[in-house]
Amino acid sequence: MASFASNPLYARRRRADVVAKTLAYAATAFGLGWLVLILGILLYNGIGGLSLDVFTHDTPPPGSDGGLQNAIVGSLMMTILAVVIGTPIGILAGTYMAEYGRHGRLSQIVRFINDILLSAPSIVVGLFVYQIMVAPMGHFSGYAGAVSLAVLVIPVVVRTTEDMLNLVPDTMREAAASIGLPRAHLIVRIAYRAASAGIVTGVLLAIARVSGETAPLLFTALNNQFFSVNMNAPMPSLPVVIFQFALSPYEEWQRLAWTGALLITVTVLVLSILARSLTARK
Amino acid sequence: MDTATQTAPATNPMVRHAAIGTEGLPEKVTIRNLEFFYGESRALKGITLSLYANKTTAFIGPSGCGKSTLLRILNRMYDLYPGQRATGDVMFDGDNLLAPGVDINLLRARIGMVFQKPTPFPMSIYENVAFGIRLYEKLPRAEMDARVEQSLRRAALWDEVKDKLGASGLSLSGGQQQRLCIARTVAVKPEVILFDEPCSALDPISTAKIEELIDEMKKDYTIVIVTHNMQQAARVSDFTAFMYLGELIEFDATANLFTTPKDKRTQAYITGRFG
Amino acid sequence: MSDHILKRFDEDLEKLNATINEMGGLTESQFAKALDAVRERDTALAEQVIATDARVDELDAQVQQQTVQLLALRQPMANDLRVVLSSIKIAAALERIADYAKNTAKRGIVLTGGSPPPSAVAGIDRLGRLVRNALKDVLDAFADDNVEKAHDVWQRDEEIDQVYTGLFRELLTYMMEDPRTITACTHLLFMAKNIERAGDHITNIAELVSFRQTGKTFAEARPKGSGALYTTGAT
Repeated sequence: MASFASNPLYARRRRADVVAKTLAYAATAFGLGWLVLILGILLYNGIGGLSLDVFTHDTPPPGSDGGLQNAIVGSLMMTILAVVIGTPIGILAGTYMAEYGRHGRLSQIVRFINDILLSAPSIVVGLFVYQIMVAPMGHFSGYAGAVSLAVLVIPVVVRTTEDMLNLVPDTMREAAASIGLPRAHLIVRIAYRAASAGIVTGVLLAIARVSGETAPLLFTALNNQFFSVNMNAPMPSLPVVIFQFALSPYEEWQRLAWTGALLITVTVLVLSILARSLTARK
Repeated sequence: MDTATQTAPATNPMVRHAAIGTEGLPEKVTIRNLEFFYGESRALKGITLSLYANKTTAFIGPSGCGKSTLLRILNRMYDLYPGQRATGDVMFDGDNLLAPGVDINLLRARIGMVFQKPTPFPMSIYENVAFGIRLYEKLPRAEMDARVEQSLRRAALWDEVKDKLGASGLSLSGGQQQRLCIARTVAVKPEVILFDEPCSALDPISTAKIEELIDEMKKDYTIVIVTHNMQQAARVSDFTAFMYLGELIEFDATANLFTTPKDKRTQAYITGRFG
Repeated sequence: MSDHILKRFDEDLEKLNATINEMGGLTESQFAKALDAVRERDTALAEQVIATDARVDELDAQVQQQTVQLLALRQPMANDLRVVLSSIKIAAALERIADYAKNTAKRGIVLTGGSPPPSAVAGIDRLGRLVRNALKDVLDAFADDNVEKAHDVWQRDEEIDQVYTGLFRELLTYMMEDPRTITACTHLLFMAKNIERAGDHITNIAELVSFRQTGKTFAEARPKGSGALYTTGAT
């Protein structure tokens, strides 16, 4: 042992190991540091404004007190509609790619385009929906906002659905086929069942992703100072309100912006933890 | 291609019937001039072979010899994958199961399969067995219970699970999971059962239980087993087919093949002289 | 045949063959020495044969132990299985042959006290040489896995039986002519019987040489030349 430890090559490897480890720790600390800083500042500035009023009052005119009720409801409605539109499309597309056309040319193309969509700047999506919905309709609307969010939901769900179905072992499919189960039954009753936790996780992650989006909503739902559940009209949302209020010179607005940011962050955090625990349980 | 089918003299069952004691045995499955292709590469060359009713036939041979491929043709499992095709005849009770019009799901219900790794479905023990039955029959609750029990008894698993039928199939041990898969297969009332290395993931005791089960099951089913374990083939089968590089080298009564193989390659393989 | 993937399997089989070859060589020499002792009336040589028999028994026990180990640890199949099974039977046959040699040597010592008819002693020697050659050949056939040679030895048993029957009649004649030779001739008779029995065991070994190679013993019925013996004895 002693002779091995004093071997110069071994000593050099140990030094290299120490250096690499130190660098890795430093990089981790750097990244985590910023995260802690962001969360800290957010908590520090946002927690003060958190009260029941935030949920029961609409956004105020400059110089007066109010809440974020209209923005929260708008966000919820558009997100829910986006998920309702995006999830079935995403799951079906993912199912096609994993089950029917796994090695097919079409799947390869769809997979490639989906990957681009997954990393496309969301402002481009906003402009796209503006062009196909807002411009022809002549006005901004909650529908357009929901559609733009749906376009962001779809690639995430497609990707996770395909990945999760690919994780279901082929032997499971063969076992189901071996007792005479037709293909469609096999997918719905065996493959989905085995992949359910993963697919739900994908949907949750998609919600987390869109709940903080501002850019696409700016071009589609715009904003609304007043409470509105009419999705055919401009609709307020948390991100856009934050964007607008944070840039304003009014102190009340700025405080509400901090609170809204905290709300979104907590929502994303909760969704992520939920998603993580779902996959962990499996 | 034609020459390949002709250069398999020892495998012509017509000639060897009497010699290996198959005379008069009913043939459940008759394979003639079977060729199989993965894309362009030919994995099976001119296989001609009979599987006898209520007998156990073992396919042995080194990895890549085509024994699993041959097994997976019998229930057309290869249909799940693109680019794979078979030519020739596989007569099953008089019908060619390779013919285009065959109802594959019905075929698979008649020719069941048990896999290398236990593959219980992500559902309860009861549901694992009932699942397959429901595909083809609508039974009242009491009858379904009886069928599930009967299937689990057949698989020698009933006594171990009767108090926890609602538990997940995945909660069982490896050997129990494999017997659950056997129960699931017999529940559909197949005529032929294909075993694809059913014990390779199991400990010796679980292996012995499965082997005993296979021996008992041949009263009711025609059994085909692919195994890497030659002793296992010797223990459980009545007939053994030795395959090498996609060809059927020798088919004989198991007692003959393991004591006095005719072909040098068979002898070299079963005595542990090449891999 | 090529080697086993597991080299220790080959080593074990080689060791088993070596033990049998040693046993065969020793049995051959025992048999030859016993015949020499009878012919030359050499009591010392006969004593040596009797003493050395223990070594043959020892080798037989070794073969048994090695075959049991091979079966348990290597699970031989097909030709390997036949080699192992035939080994144990060949060893048993050799052990019997060595026993007959010992018995012949013992009777040789007794004979030195009497006066056996010289032509009868010569007859024993002739029968003995036939069996000795057969033993040598069958051991060669075993060492070379030569089934043809084994078959040749197997067919020669008929000749041995005929010579034995002739010798039997000759000894009966001596005893009838001169009752004083009865004691010596009885010993010679037993010797002849021992040597003839050794021949039978050699035939068995020849069949086993075939069995380990082909899985079959020689197809025809075993030649039986001494069938007339019993009718002769009855009249």
